[in-house]
Amino acid sequence: MTDPSCSDRPILVVAGLTVGFETAAGRVMAAEDVSFCLRQSETLALVGETGCGKSVVASAIMKLLPRNASVRGHAEFAGRDLLARSEKEMAEIRGKEIAIVFQNPSLALNPIIRIAEQVAEPLQVHEHASRHKSIKTAEEMLHRLGLGSREAHMYPFQFSGGMNQRAMIATSMILTPKVIIADEPSHGLDAGLVDETMKEMMKIKEQIGSSLLLITHDLTLARRFSERMAVMYCGEIVETGKSEEIFNKPLHPYTRALLDCLPERGFHPIPGSSPSMINPPAGCKFRPRCPHAGERCMKRPRIVEGAEKDCDREVRCWLY
Amino acid sequence: MLAVLRAEKVGLVYESGLIFKSRHTVLKGITLELQEGRTLGLLGASGSGKSTLGRILAGQQRPTSGRVLFDGEDIWLMPKGERSAYKKQVQMVFQDPEGSLNPRKSIERSIHEVLALLKVPPGKWQSRTKEAFEMVGLSEDLLCRRPAQISGGQCQRVALARVLLLRPRVVILDEPTSALDISVQAQILNLLKELQSDLGLAYLLISHQPEVISFMAHETLCLEGGEIV
Repeated sequence: MTDPSCSDRPILVVAGLTVGFETAAGRVMAAEDVSFCLRQSETLALVGETGCGKSVVASAIMKLLPRNASVRGHAEFAGRDLLARSEKEMAEIRGKEIAIVFQNPSLALNPIIRIAEQVAEPLQVHEHASRHKSIKTAEEMLHRLGLGSREAHMYPFQFSGGMNQRAMIATSMILTPKVIIADEPSHGLDAGLVDETMKEMMKIKEQIGSSLLLITHDLTLARRFSERMAVMYCGEIVETGKSEEIFNKPLHPYTRALLDCLPERGFHPIPGSSPSMINPPAGCKFRPRCPHAGERCMKRPRIVEGAEKDCDREVRCWLY
Repeated sequence: MLAVLRAEKVGLVYESGLIFKSRHTVLKGITLELQEGRTLGLLGASGSGKSTLGRILAGQQRPTSGRVLFDGEDIWLMPKGERSAYKKQVQMVFQDPEGSLNPRKSIERSIHEVLALLKVPPGKWQSRTKEAFEMVGLSEDLLCRRPAQISGGQCQRVALARVLLLRPRVVILDEPTSALDISVQAQILNLLKELQSDLGLAYLLISHQPEVISFMAHETLCLEGGEIV
């Protein structure tokens, strides 16, 4: 089950993860055969456009998917498959071992409980810390993320989206988890604050020695803050590699096209639009938009490991 | 080249408080002009007054000082008929594409609403819709769907199609791509450029992203604390 390319002390190994949802319109394949590993203390960015299945992967790892979801595959953490664990076991792991920063902080926080109380809650639940002591620790954590003691005793509805996002980051890091999953942590933050918040988050991550799975659609943010990157398209990972390498020499035609959309590369749009996840194209899902599409692309491409003689590089394309 | 829309020393001050009045200056002496076939970029941080200036130019808010001139005429002193023509010819596209459309109405109904307002005979609605959809690169299959059933990029294209039905001369684009993914952003920006070169539209592009402004704009103004700097 362990991904062979992950010899470097993996802490979380996701293998063959497939998630489908039964809907009135048909079966939505939100993630298909997703495999990656997160190494000790590293930051891995899972990048892709909105709706490509990034958040579904995060929710599947945390076992937080709705009832109409069907999940196959494995997510191995600390030697055991998370997907096979009971709800009681997962409740122990969530927050303490693996924490998640949700995409919409204003919805993730309770609007009628003060911020410091909410940030302190994991300490009280998992470590049975006293209210006084846990709130003090929460205030310190919030302070590191730029929120003073006055703000710590305010309610989420009195906060901007960016302030709530920083409160969510504080909540996720307060128990020094081994893995942090940050789902669009820059969402709702002003350009200046993105940098400041991300730098502080990375600093805390380094200090507590956590690994970070950074889920984002912001390629520039992923490049700046991650060591490796996995590019998702229509529910599949199409390319994995060192972030710098992917930016300097993208292999998959989708990665190339996506990078060409960047302002510094001239805003070149990708022809066509993302396919439906209910009836995706047969074979390679990027085929209808790909300039290199041929007869063989009617068959699903296999993953090529060690592309470009780089053991970290994987690409799902018939060109390699 | 003659300006289609011109702001002359436009200012806006909000007053608040019943007994102890306080004054908050939002815009100070803004002068700018929009010309046919050209894009004026308006760059500034959140809260600098960019969107307020956009609303003033679109006639949605009255400034407390200065004038807004459309074809040389003050928009607040125009006779009713001329003002209605101005309102059709100066249109706005907003940041949140899904929020710009009524979530309970199908795309077709949202489009037909505009045609009914324009008093277009119902027999011509289909051809006018088809023409607008072709301009923005949308398939007519989407007409039966609701905003929540299409992507953000498609919503923004529908919003643009609704604007184009009015055959505007000026379009005020208030952060038109900041809620979109990078690939969709590139598609919309290129589409806006094409529409400008085909229809000779004048754009005021409001954005906090310098790279978007430098890609689109012929001239740029920077706004800080309600003033052009």
